[in-house]
Amino acid sequence: MAEEKYPINIWINEERYEKLKAVGLANLCEEMLAGLKVLRVYANEAQKDKILKVFPTAKFDSATTKSIELLPRDVKDKMFDLVIEKKTVDILDEFLSKY
Amino acid sequence: MAEIGHGGKEIVERIMEPAQAKEKIKGLKQIPIRSQIANEVIGIAYGFFSPLEGFMGKADLDGVCKNMRLANGILWSIPILFDLSDAEISDYGIKVGDTVVLTYQGNPMAIFEIEEIYEYDKKTICQAVYGTTEDKHPGCARTYAYKDKFIGGKITLVNRPKINPPFEPYFIPPLEMRKRFKEKGWVRIVAHQTRNVPHTGHEWLMKGAWLQTYGELPIDKPLVGVLVNAIIGEKRKGDYIDEAIILCQDELRKSGYFGDHNHMTSLTFWDMRYAGPKEAVFHAILRTNLGLTHHMFGRDHAGVGTYYGPYDAHILLESVKKDLNITPVYSMNWLYCPHCGEVTSEGLCNHKSEWQKFSGTVIRSIILDGVKPPRLIFRPEVFDLVMECAEKYGFGSPFVTDEYLKNRTPVFTIPPLA
Repeated sequence: MAEEKYPINIWINEERYEKLKAVGLANLCEEMLAGLKVLRVYANEAQKDKILKVFPTAKFDSATTKSIELLPRDVKDKMFDLVIEKKTVDILDEFLSKY
Repeated sequence: MAEIGHGGKEIVERIMEPAQAKEKIKGLKQIPIRSQIANEVIGIAYGFFSPLEGFMGKADLDGVCKNMRLANGILWSIPILFDLSDAEISDYGIKVGDTVVLTYQGNPMAIFEIEEIYEYDKKTICQAVYGTTEDKHPGCARTYAYKDKFIGGKITLVNRPKINPPFEPYFIPPLEMRKRFKEKGWVRIVAHQTRNVPHTGHEWLMKGAWLQTYGELPIDKPLVGVLVNAIIGEKRKGDYIDEAIILCQDELRKSGYFGDHNHMTSLTFWDMRYAGPKEAVFHAILRTNLGLTHHMFGRDHAGVGTYYGPYDAHILLESVKKDLNITPVYSMNWLYCPHCGEVTSEGLCNHKSEWQKFSGTVIRSIILDGVKPPRLIFRPEVFDLVMECAEKYGFGSPFVTDEYLKNRTPVFTIPPLA
């Protein structure tokens, strides 16, 4: 059975969108909820558990969206910067290695 | 005419007038109380918790744990308890038959007639009420935090709480609430339980419940209202601040998504137990006392984590329907369908593979990321007010922070007894 993946939604404001466009990654964005742009970084079970432990304000929305939400803004900024640097959304191993 | 509340009992406010109160409390021992107990004193005294007249004795607690009923047979699902440590009981020198004054914020709040001092196994309470004994369940954690002994006895408020801005218009106790409903001419009123700033999923839950409640009634004049009853109690970091919750709920009316003819916002002081089905029954009782005829229950009502099934509350409510004087209105989830281009009910739309679900948690995440959600998802007037509340009340954040917890103006204060 395929391993379950849990998205972290990085919601894209104009500033983030400009940065994505500048490095040619705007196509990584999906459109959701009547016009919002979102970049999705996926966590596996172990990564999800580590994120919830390391960042206590984070919440796994088990009831509705099955996504990891409420990460602090600066944490998401760092994830976003790593996506820009690595030009991929597959950044969680490297990101979490610092924690 | 008597106002009849839950269990067929008349709602009676247990409140003493100040002149009499000042005399009555002279020489009585004073016991300071914490915010949870102060909230419950208000609940008892104003009739939100009718037919309770005070904190529960052992027979009531035993009945609630064993068969979800008070000792007199009336349905009741959540224990309302007053606790003290053995040391406090000894230090205060209190015993059965004493009358003491409960103080809050340093001022007299209520008279407590001590009828019983007893012990009860906390694990038994947890298993009965929460269906688990795990201390990570917030209701269990609250139960385990109770001190050695429980004290049962009647409560009489001697000093009305001063509700601080911007909450004053929203504290509407049961007897006053019932008058307001009559003035509006509403014959059916459906409760919307909330601890959230509303997104359009919530808005449609209310609109859907209003339509369900309207049913066969004539439509030539407004006969049905939605009452938003926000639960105001202990805050956790990351929650929306109370001011944003109450003002944004009312903003839906002020901005015309509802109107005076069908919508009203109010609050109840209560520290959520997250007891899922048992809390749903408690909410039904609370809103019966407020004079509502219908109560909306969505998926996983008042649940937490994965302790309860999504429809456990509905099943329990159905099983005790004959004991409730309020009609449950069950609501399906609302979601965004890009194919329909609208927020729709999962019971209506069949573009299942395209559905985009959203929750209060997701909306908080979007706001945390500094993004303004589209108006179909979150009303712009509500978004602007959330940001205004952040500046005015939240020390720059619409979410609870350490600074907010430390420096906020309390929702109510107990003034010196005049």
